[in-house]
Amino acid sequence: MLLFDTVFNGNDKVYAITEEAVNAAIAQHGEDKAVSFPDTAYVLPCYYSVTGTKITTLKEMKEALGVIKSLMTRERRLNDAFMSGVATALCAEFVEALKYIDGATPYEAPCAGHLPDAIIRELGVPLVTGDIPGVAVILGSAPSADEGVALVKSYQEQGMLVTLVGGIIDQVVEKGMKTGANVRVVPLGKDVTSVIHVVSVALRAALIFGNIKPGDAANLMKYTFERVPAFVNAFKPLDDVIVACGAGAIALGFPVITNDMEFTPSVPKSLIKLDDVSKFNAASLEARDIKIKITHIDIPVSFASAFEGEIIRRGDMQVEFDGSRVDCFELVQTKELTEVEDHKIELIGPDIDEFEVGSKQSIGFVVEVAGKKMQTDFEPVIERKFHSYINCAEGIMHTGQRDMIRIRVSKEAFNAGFRAKHLGEILYAKVKNDYEAVVDRCQVKIYTKAEDCTNLRHGLVTEMFDKRDERLLSLTDESVDVYYSCILCQAFSPSHVCVVTPERLGLCGAVSWLDAKATNELEPEGACQIITKEGVLDEKLGAYESVNEAVKKYSMGALERVTLYSIMEDPMTSCGCFECICGIEPLSNGVAIANREYAGVTPLGMTFPEMASMTGGGVQTPGFMGHGKHFISSKKFMAAEGGLERIVWMPKELKETVAERLNATAKEMYGIDNFTDMIGDETIAEDPETLFAFLQEKNHPALSMDPLM
Amino acid sequence: MPFNQKPQKFNAKINTVTIGTGDKAIALGGESVLPFYTFDGPIENAPKVGVEITDKGIDDSVPGIKAYYEGCASVADIAKKASEMEGADFVVLSLVGGDPNGDDKSVDDLVAVVKEVVAAVDCPLVVKGCANVEKDAALLPKVAEACQGKNTLIMSAKEENYKTIGASVGLAYDLNMGAESAVDINLAKQLNVISTQLGVKADKIVMDVGTAAVGYGYEYVVSTMDRIRGAALSQDDATLQMPIITPVASDAWSVKEAVASEEDMPEWGPAEERGIGMEIMTAASDLVSGSNAVILRHPQSVATISKMIKELV
Amino acid sequence: MALNGIQIFKMTPKTNCKDCGSPTCMAFSMKVAQGAVDISACPHMSEEALATLADATAPPMKTIKIGTGDAEYTLGGETVLYRHDKTFVSRPRYAVGLCSCMEDADVDAKLEGLKKVDYERIGEKMYVELIYVNYNPNNGQDKYLEMVKKAAATGRTLVLGCQDEAVAKAALDICKDAKPVLNGATAANAEAMSKLATDAGVVLGVSGADLNEIYDTVAKIEGLGNKNLVIDVTGADIKTTFANAVQVRRAAIKDEDRTFGYPSIVNLSRVAGGDKYMQEALAALFTMKYGSIIVVDEMTYAQALPLYGLRQNVFTDPQKPMTVEPGIYPINGGDENSLCLTTVDFALTYFVVSGELERSGVPCNLLISDAGGMSVLTAWAAGKLSSGTISKFIEEQVKDKIKCRKLVIPGKVAVLKGDLEAKLPDWEIIVAPNEAVQLVKFLKEMNA
Repeated sequence: MLLFDTVFNGNDKVYAITEEAVNAAIAQHGEDKAVSFPDTAYVLPCYYSVTGTKITTLKEMKEALGVIKSLMTRERRLNDAFMSGVATALCAEFVEALKYIDGATPYEAPCAGHLPDAIIRELGVPLVTGDIPGVAVILGSAPSADEGVALVKSYQEQGMLVTLVGGIIDQVVEKGMKTGANVRVVPLGKDVTSVIHVVSVALRAALIFGNIKPGDAANLMKYTFERVPAFVNAFKPLDDVIVACGAGAIALGFPVITNDMEFTPSVPKSLIKLDDVSKFNAASLEARDIKIKITHIDIPVSFASAFEGEIIRRGDMQVEFDGSRVDCFELVQTKELTEVEDHKIELIGPDIDEFEVGSKQSIGFVVEVAGKKMQTDFEPVIERKFHSYINCAEGIMHTGQRDMIRIRVSKEAFNAGFRAKHLGEILYAKVKNDYEAVVDRCQVKIYTKAEDCTNLRHGLVTEMFDKRDERLLSLTDESVDVYYSCILCQAFSPSHVCVVTPERLGLCGAVSWLDAKATNELEPEGACQIITKEGVLDEKLGAYESVNEAVKKYSMGALERVTLYSIMEDPMTSCGCFECICGIEPLSNGVAIANREYAGVTPLGMTFPEMASMTGGGVQTPGFMGHGKHFISSKKFMAAEGGLERIVWMPKELKETVAERLNATAKEMYGIDNFTDMIGDETIAEDPETLFAFLQEKNHPALSMDPLM
Repeated sequence: MPFNQKPQKFNAKINTVTIGTGDKAIALGGESVLPFYTFDGPIENAPKVGVEITDKGIDDSVPGIKAYYEGCASVADIAKKASEMEGADFVVLSLVGGDPNGDDKSVDDLVAVVKEVVAAVDCPLVVKGCANVEKDAALLPKVAEACQGKNTLIMSAKEENYKTIGASVGLAYDLNMGAESAVDINLAKQLNVISTQLGVKADKIVMDVGTAAVGYGYEYVVSTMDRIRGAALSQDDATLQMPIITPVASDAWSVKEAVASEEDMPEWGPAEERGIGMEIMTAASDLVSGSNAVILRHPQSVATISKMIKELV
Repeated sequence: MALNGIQIFKMTPKTNCKDCGSPTCMAFSMKVAQGAVDISACPHMSEEALATLADATAPPMKTIKIGTGDAEYTLGGETVLYRHDKTFVSRPRYAVGLCSCMEDADVDAKLEGLKKVDYERIGEKMYVELIYVNYNPNNGQDKYLEMVKKAAATGRTLVLGCQDEAVAKAALDICKDAKPVLNGATAANAEAMSKLATDAGVVLGVSGADLNEIYDTVAKIEGLGNKNLVIDVTGADIKTTFANAVQVRRAAIKDEDRTFGYPSIVNLSRVAGGDKYMQEALAALFTMKYGSIIVVDEMTYAQALPLYGLRQNVFTDPQKPMTVEPGIYPINGGDENSLCLTTVDFALTYFVVSGELERSGVPCNLLISDAGGMSVLTAWAAGKLSSGTISKFIEEQVKDKIKCRKLVIPGKVAVLKGDLEAKLPDWEIIVAPNEAVQLVKFLKEMNA
């Protein structure tokens, strides 16, 4: 039978029952008899939420049946099925409401039936904040009481609100489980119609917390879909009434997971069939996109940033993994969701207690992550955090990154029970928590056999790193669609905005385009925002309308325009934390660069602090610009004025730091060999005249370039 | 040739937020000119002055404050007396006793105090938390419940706990929420954005962007408020158009200049006078930077600042 | 429109002759653009260039100097309305007001009183810089001149509030060498007063019934060639005075109306005489917004401590954070055996941390090393706070003076712990919490 037919049949059945019940009630009490649920301001909450009409008497209820009937269209379209689901739910509410006529108390402990407004206000707050991460609706009888109770407990341990309908209630009672709102396990009732009491909670929450106007059905459903993280676990056998109710749940955005493998066709993301009840929890969470905060890292030693700077000395160490001597590595790898089992930590090879005390060993760990929003570009961003994650564990020291790591485990930590798998626990917990926005599943593989580490390091790992380096090299301002703004420094430099592009990292040197991208993804309202590349004003200068708009917006109007590639025309502003400043040296028609560490005077007649005082504070200073060290070798370095050929002077130390990359770029762009040999430094000249003579002698290209001004 | 006066007109407005109910309700904000710039345009609602009291009873460290509340037997009495102070527009109940590192009073005990005060005063009420984010997250939703229907302003919602406080104060009970950030325009903005995303209405948010006593990094306060007001009015930035409330007293009365005894610092003269000076000058500076309401303790400060506002608006 | 350094550079001789005192023409031009050096410092500029530059680089608000020697003060010269836009350059100066209508004993008491305020705060000496001596015709010339003599004898710079030409002349004869301000020009006496001030070589204060009258009077005096002025913006009441102060400054800076490009005088004795608390509020208000000389009835420590603190904060360069001197700061009676804690020399950090330490009541020593005036994390990131800088400071300046060998480091730089242990082997390194507010609890628990 098709899903549509099942839903329609179920809906028709429930409607018939309801109509009969309403008529019977009128026959018994007369049509002016009042109907209501106790302790709620929303009279017949579901019907009121969906239609905006209050029902207070049996007469009104009978009239309302006509409205419900109008929802029950019978085209074989998804919307018809959903609306029939909603109609089924509304019918269920009427049936339930009839039970309360004359102040009756139809439900007895442990069943709660209707839940009063006060409980919704109380439960609603943690629901909105995510302290209650989700609402599970469990319907029917589990294959066995043990399985049923295990499922309820699994949700309870995650802090979820669990509501029970039907046979599961008896199963829970049988096993002696405590129930009630205070332990967040709420049996509603044994009839399938009692499921309406949790729907009522969801809809009233939308009215109270979502400011939804009663009757605004579209926004109501949008709210429940986006903000009420509920889902249904329905045990076999499903009949058409349950399926019709299920259609109502799906209409509100609540996926249904069932173990009835025969009855129903599945609907991706909404109706999931799963034989193994023990997998319901994970499947439900993923289907509803619920993420559980990890509050406790399961390791036998303390974990706090206070231990970050701890040093483990040779004599105190149980074992050392030393990437400089043997093969070691750490790696984040993106996988498909199906390839990752969340929180699986695998040790492949001997554990720490099998190593000789004080010995050097190999270790490699691969943190495999998967997520709908995960991107391979985030891998290095996550990986770079491993250092501080692992260091925060008491008695564990970590240095380096990639395949040049060194980890020491102290005897004390070892004696407290620290083993290899705990490294995995730390990484799992931190990655899941810090990168919740992108990582849905995470598993860790730890290799401790020397030959595994060697093979992987020289195989998979090198391959991955090479691919990443290639990606970095291929990232150009032209090859990406968006840039990012960064306003991390506005606390002390109020009007400054950095525009971060692949070839121009933040001037502090600490925020690359990839970092900015990750920051934006993880904290959408945070310091880094997307800047589209629209409205080219001047390609050479790097002037874009969209960049100007962004700069104006994020500087609160203090800046109107910046160019990306010029230091003469609307140059980018500087905050104060720049690594370097370049400034025009007029005599030699080029620029001199000074880095923060340089204490002497430049041929401009100014020291770094003097140049900094003119350039900082978010003010545009044509002819001067702050930037990161890596920007010096960028092809975009003052590209509008001819590029890095203009560099005539920089301190010796800085020159040595950037030489390799700078020379490579100069060779590639201009065919100049050993460009840095042409660039002056403090040992050659500290005044313009001496510098000029030196540049002439070296035939520096800047001397013959177009005049800078 | 006469002076060519050029009024600075903005096409944007600070939101108007009403606190309290009935005749004594107050409105914060609503202006589209800089603070006290009446020569540029009208100031719809003059800034307001609140009197701070705590759940701990009478502050007996300052003789003038102690004397004012003499005879008050309960926090409710104190609140009533505070509401009658010359120049007071509203009362602020600061639940400092909830601090887990201090008295660590239970949520129930503090809510009982709130209920007493709610019953005792008819002026607008503002409630501040205990400055501990976890405790406030547990405490303030219960306070909101106790303040239902009073259109109270519940402060102390920070980035760490705004969800819990915003959901209860702003959503469940439809009260006003005070969004607290630490003297930084972007943090203030971010908190407003995420609070409204949570569903708290923009006209139910009052910003507490923090202050410092004058002399204690006050330059950050000036620049933060100047920039917030600049963005709100000249950039029409809706995410920064919330009125600002500034708790002055707690900072002013805790710096060395206000607390050092006359025995320790004989040349400085009486401590109380120094504290009043600190409080008055910090309040005046906050107001001229953009605060729509200041929270003070000393009757002399309340009277003076209230009078200054009347003179200027 | 202000010129930038490159535009100015183009007009220099580009010879790097160093006659201006700067090593290169570029360095000189950048300083001129910043307003740090006057264009006239270059002796080789062409007439044409000078004319262009003088106009373009002339600040929207004049810099006016009053007083002499140690008592010389610079007023005005502001280029922005908000400190975050650049920086405020001339702090307001406070005057205690005297009037010839006062009893002698009161005057003596005030003169004695203002001397008491004398202290230092973060490297700045705090005292009452000015005395405003007001002439009341009802009490006669002699009494006024006596008062001027007494006031002048204090060595403070005077502001003479006197609109009577003859009396003003007599008063100037007493004190003109000390370069007082003659606050006496009105629409009625502008010419005569201007001549008097010019002859005496002193700054002239201009007042009037409203902004229009003041504007006309200033224009008239400027027409006489006198641009050594301040504007008394004090109006009939507080509201008018504030409106005047703001509008004069805003016209000068935002609208570049140079007629109002002068510093201001705000006389609180006139709009809030006798109400010391109102004067406190207003002194703060006008320190924030656009008072250059602020006159109050009296200045005690209760007023000075907050007011001078406020001024010190507002008139700092936003890009140059205030710093405290590196050294050992004992707190709560800490001695050589007390616990040591260290943090950066950024004034705000110092105040917050020392405040919390005081609150804890635990005797200790706060060790401040030179971290370039940056906050903990910024200093750490910039390499100004490292295990090297801390250990060097301790080796050189602390270890001989302090016997305790326990050092608490900021929680935010917990990463330094290991390195510090290596560099200072006889010290126990303890990591504090991340935030200063947690210090009280931390210290109490440590002591328990």
